[in-house]
Amino acid sequence: MSTPARRRLMRDFKRLQEDPPAGVSGAPTDNNIMIWNAVIFGPHDTPFEDGTFKLTIEFTEEYPNKPPTVRFVSKMFHPNVYADGGICLDILQNRWSPTYDVSAILTSIQSLLSDPNPNSPANSMAAQLYKENRREYEKRVKACVEQSWMD
Amino acid sequence: MEMVPETEIQDEGILKQQREIEKEVAEIHPLVGNKQPLTCLLKEYMDDPIYTNKLTKLAGVYQSIRRVRPDGNCFFRGFGFSYFERLLDNEEEWKTFQAIVMGTKDQLISQGFPKFTLEDFFDSFMEVVNRLGGEGKMDAEELSRIFNDAGTSDYLVVYLRLVTSGQLQKEEDFYQNFLEGGKSMREFCQQEVEPMYRESDHMHAIALGSALKVGIRVVYLDRGEITTSPPEHDFPEDCTPSVYLLYRPGHYDILYK
Repeated sequence: MSTPARRRLMRDFKRLQEDPPAGVSGAPTDNNIMIWNAVIFGPHDTPFEDGTFKLTIEFTEEYPNKPPTVRFVSKMFHPNVYADGGICLDILQNRWSPTYDVSAILTSIQSLLSDPNPNSPANSMAAQLYKENRREYEKRVKACVEQSWMD
Repeated sequence: MEMVPETEIQDEGILKQQREIEKEVAEIHPLVGNKQPLTCLLKEYMDDPIYTNKLTKLAGVYQSIRRVRPDGNCFFRGFGFSYFERLLDNEEEWKTFQAIVMGTKDQLISQGFPKFTLEDFFDSFMEVVNRLGGEGKMDAEELSRIFNDAGTSDYLVVYLRLVTSGQLQKEEDFYQNFLEGGKSMREFCQQEVEPMYRESDHMHAIALGSALKVGIRVVYLDRGEITTSPPEHDFPEDCTPSVYLLYRPGHYDILYK
């Protein structure tokens, strides 16, 4: 059945294929347009460089009026990523706008990797190390990068 | 029906509870209800002399009310339904409105709204507008069906929100004066105008009315002093109203003369 959410997701997918932003990719799972798999490549010149981080995006019929649920499947060490992979990012919560599409969501998460916000931590250890012991922070991130190749 | 602004809510438990409240509201109220005599409100305020007195006076001017779901989108949804319903009986005005709406798309894109997603909302909006007159004209019943289909109805609301946001930013010098707390207009639009379910006030009304060249009269019914009759305000000022809305604290419904 075609609903506004499904129609819009088909458009989002088409756009992502025709005009892919650098360093991210995503596609619906085989039998369900409402659940997507995505990959974000760790941005250059950050400790996340060379990582291939996998995510799932779950949409409801209320998309794009409500944001999807986005979660890292790959293990992450980042001030704004919870232990279960959930992401603390304003545009995925209270600053969501229906004008964002999948492409915008993925590029926003990509920039979050480059610029963590240690003042609203989802992982307090990562936030503390990011602020006080950058060398140790980078070491822990590098371990995630290496693990991301195995998944 | 005052809701805590979501920007202040970070706690997942509270957010979850709020979602549950929204669900309950949705089960009780249709998005846009049937026309009812205005006097039906008297029952709600039987024990309240202030409201009863004001409503009695109001019933001398307005015949009926159409309730809109109190989900934070009621201003936009009420405006949309009320004006579209009027256009069904005004072929000339419909043509003018069609042209105005056509112009909003390029205007918004030129202001930097993302073309790809904007077009999606514009196309859905235009599809409905195009059927308010001319050969494929819909009837009032279908309009009501469209506004009660959550998917389509919410798309119409989103486009009206985007038009409002565009107007506020285009005329920033003027609207800036209404802003409180040192927010920039861009921030205000991102937090209070574009997201669904955020409530509207006079600033939204002036901007939407000016952008689409539609006069809006809002009648205020509250617990204030018993005056000769409930105060009315026109947005933008000095317009000829085409849409009449009843405002009770936190909520808008549609009024009919």
